Amino acid sequence: MRKRTILSVLSLLLVLVMALTACNGGSEATTAPVPDVTEAPVAETDEPEAETDETEAEAEQPGSDTRIAVICSAAGQNDSGYNKAIVEKVNALAAEKGFHAQIVEPTSGVPNAIETMAEDGYNLIFSMEYDFEALVNGVGGAKPLAEQYPDTTFVVFNDNPNLTEDGEVKHANVISVLFNINEPSYLAGYLYGHMNEEMDTLFGDTYKFVSTDTARAAGFIGGTNSAGIVVTSYAFIQGLNDAAEELDVEYEFYQKLDAGFSDSAEGSTVAGTFYDQNANIVFAVAGTVGDGVTSKAKEVGRLAIQVDADLDDQQPGHVLTSVLKLTDVPGETIVNAYLDGTIDELDRLQTFGVASGATDITDMSVISEFIEDEAAWTALREKTDAKKQAIIDGTLEIIDAQAGDTFEAADYPNVNVN
Amino acid sequence: MDLLNRILYDAVYHMTPILLCVLGGLFAYKAGVLNIALEGMMLAGSFISVLVAMYTQNALLIYLSSIFVCVVLGLVFAFLAVNKRGNVIIIGLAINMIIPAVAGFVLQTMGVPNLTAKWINPAMFRIDIPLIKDIPILGRLFSGHPLGTYISFFMIFVAAVLLYKTKFGIYTRVVGERPLAAKSLGIRSNLYATLAILIGALLCAVAGLNLSYERLGIYTNGMTAGRGFIAIAAIYCGKGEPVKSSLYAFIFGIARALAINLSIRAGGVAALFDIIPYLLMIIILAINSGFQIRNYRMRTYW
Repeated sequence: MRKRTILSVLSLLLVLVMALTACNGGSEATTAPVPDVTEAPVAETDEPEAETDETEAEAEQPGSDTRIAVICSAAGQNDSGYNKAIVEKVNALAAEKGFHAQIVEPTSGVPNAIETMAEDGYNLIFSMEYDFEALVNGVGGAKPLAEQYPDTTFVVFNDNPNLTEDGEVKHANVISVLFNINEPSYLAGYLYGHMNEEMDTLFGDTYKFVSTDTARAAGFIGGTNSAGIVVTSYAFIQGLNDAAEELDVEYEFYQKLDAGFSDSAEGSTVAGTFYDQNANIVFAVAGTVGDGVTSKAKEVGRLAIQVDADLDDQQPGHVLTSVLKLTDVPGETIVNAYLDGTIDELDRLQTFGVASGATDITDMSVISEFIEDEAAWTALREKTDAKKQAIIDGTLEIIDAQAGDTFEAADYPNVNVN
Repeated sequence: MDLLNRILYDAVYHMTPILLCVLGGLFAYKAGVLNIALEGMMLAGSFISVLVAMYTQNALLIYLSSIFVCVVLGLVFAFLAVNKRGNVIIIGLAINMIIPAVAGFVLQTMGVPNLTAKWINPAMFRIDIPLIKDIPILGRLFSGHPLGTYISFFMIFVAAVLLYKTKFGIYTRVVGERPLAAKSLGIRSNLYATLAILIGALLCAVAGLNLSYERLGIYTNGMTAGRGFIAIAAIYCGKGEPVKSSLYAFIFGIARALAINLSIRAGGVAALFDIIPYLLMIIILAINSGFQIRNYRMRTYW
């Protein structure tokens, strides 16, 4: 009796496993709708033997046999935008140009996912997570994955780990993508600096701004104290300082750099302290902690700035703007370069800034609806746009912590960093 | 003064979910089935409350739905742990893991990174208590909080009375301390253990509601951030006694509030305040068990 139960449970498990594997194959086809002609080879290329044929055929038909994978970061493909943007772009390109796209949400670590996809013969792999050790340097005595799979091109984001000690490119098949997120952060700081002078005329009575007669202040909440985070705060301070200099005023700047990325209640209370310190705005670069910040902004009737994706609509009227980091722009550039066969000519370090449209602040259409003084608002936006143009033209240099710039408080005399 | 007020208010803010979990969890603790699933139940409460709040503004419905879901989870836990004598750690772990996974799945199906009930402005849930709100320090401690916080204060007394002054409380403790004695007296131990777990589930629902719906109006996955486990630690430190355990919950709240509010002045060093409660717990537990060992010392190898 007992034996039979165990047997039946086992066979049930077997059936489940098989069913799930089958599902997996099916979903590949659904995530990447490819034209009919190529559908059959796609379904069969899971077998390693097919790999070689495939790479041979590639030269003739770059579009149809190319296999591109996007390995999402922990936030998953349905996040607020960081993964979502590139996933949607790659899927759209797959449908348009007829290559095979696979979106992976790693369950057993990013290195495993990279290895599996490379082993499976994927030609171009985007890895969205901040996790490159196994890829570039190799872990546990293993060779770097980039070396193990020389025919695959890997793309990593937000850092440039692919350097030897002498600063040379380590692996020719690894491309690093950096975002100049400092540029839009500067714009956000500059905008706020000018805006704060006329909060009461700009916005209606429902808001509870601290008048500039009392104090001028801004707050910043970062998830962790790393270059990727302070790159935004430094630039924000620079922008605020420029605005303050033009107006001949001084600002208090409060920051917390260890808020983590998941506890939204903590974001809310930290923001609460900053608002209590007379800040009319809090800039959050801390994942879902930032969602707590916008909620607090609504509670106290002030403003917040979000980051990464367009989150203006999260608490309409209380998110001034979002500092955007649009992964679809580099995604498209690199996929196209791969399909055109020009991928090897691309610089191994790709930097995207406001000029390419990969980083920017939002169009502020959501907050615009809460503005009462249109003329003043337009004037403000023109000032900000002028700065943006200056950045694009190269006449305005923004402090860049990711490039190794260090913050000297003396350079920003009009902002008092606490 | 401002700073002190702010710290006190934040302390209560951060204490509330932990306190509710403590008060809920200690019944199960006393009944001898440690409820590891506090974290998962609280998260379920948070999730359901905001999910329902996205479609209705009926506060009663929001409260009832999240309580309902948590009680169902409580029943599952009780059935497996009490009736089927499963391992509570494994069952609790399963619940803790399945809730964020289910919530994540729902979020993904809805195509959103988190849930936002846009009609909620947390300011509107704040209840100012007349008279008390004008008293300098007490005002910030006991006024201007949402309903869940007041429930948590009230529950300290309810829990103490329930546990020590009623037949239910005595039976529950007997079931936990001397299961065989309870059985020999004809006490339905399974029933009392189940009820104790259900009380915990109910209060976890309120804790979750307080954390997401009342304080933020949003749900982000994993937003409980270990508060349920802190509650378990608090229960252990307070040995399951309502007032003592609540005090630990308050210490956690204070430490959190200090860490947040002093970071403006002390910078990065303020993060050290986050370790205060843990440090305190280790010290207290060590001293406690030290005394216990001395009392129990017998002629043996230790």
